[in-house]
Amino acid sequence: MELKFYIESGIIESFVLGLASEAEVEELEHMRKLYPELNTEVEFVERRLERAAFDEPAMPPAQVRDRVLQKIRWEQGHAYSDPASNYTFINIQPKDGSHITVHRWWKIFFIIFFIMSKVFLFLAIFYYLKYRMSQDKQGNNLPHKVKQEQIQIARV
Amino acid sequence: MVLQLVPMRERADDVMVRVFTWSFQHIGTFQTSGHKTLFTWLMRKARELAIKEALPETALTGSELMKQEEGMLQRFYLILPADQQQVFRLSYFKGLSITTIARLLALPEEQINNILGDSMKSFRQFLKDTWN
Repeated sequence: MELKFYIESGIIESFVLGLASEAEVEELEHMRKLYPELNTEVEFVERRLERAAFDEPAMPPAQVRDRVLQKIRWEQGHAYSDPASNYTFINIQPKDGSHITVHRWWKIFFIIFFIMSKVFLFLAIFYYLKYRMSQDKQGNNLPHKVKQEQIQIARV
Repeated sequence: MVLQLVPMRERADDVMVRVFTWSFQHIGTFQTSGHKTLFTWLMRKARELAIKEALPETALTGSELMKQEEGMLQRFYLILPADQQQVFRLSYFKGLSITTIARLLALPEEQINNILGDSMKSFRQFLKDTWN
């Protein structure tokens, strides 16, 4: 009699829909051990729900099946691949002769090369400007020297 | 069943792919899940994944949106009294816990539990009336 109240409380429906709390699920599991007839009731509820859903099916498109199989095959391939096996891997990446493959160290080398070229370029411009400034200074002093030389010649 | 939770065809298809992939990988857990039929075991996982896929309610507009009222669970939801409707919607369709629902509705958890219990009794009757 108590079992009838327990069943009528909707606990099985709650479990089947996934709304029961962990404590309720544990309790239901315990009750199923104590009263095996509850298993039959669980099956009845599940069958009812299944019939209800199948009465108004919304079929997924056929591509869903292909996508599932593809995903399973892909994940299975990873899960069961043995690195020690003597497999032959074929690189399916197309190489038409216009592309080359280089070691990853080349990337670091090119970055350093690029930075260094910028530094040298900066230094080259900097020293060129410095050189020009010193040249200009020398150029400004030149007329003064020429005058002095002219005076000396006149005295002679 | 998924379309009632994720009313967009493409997203629902994504959920289905994930459900079946998961079921293939975890078929061993069916025995210990407590379920008697594969369908309800799948349905439970589908709901779990569909809830994760759920969109904000404001985003659910446009032509790609499916008619949610057509589903069996939606029809059941519509026949419930207002308080049960609210709790069932937040619990089943939104996947919220009793504690969160109690906070949302500013009611004690005990009361939410009772309301949800009443809706489960109604659901039992709803199933028995039509598909016994």
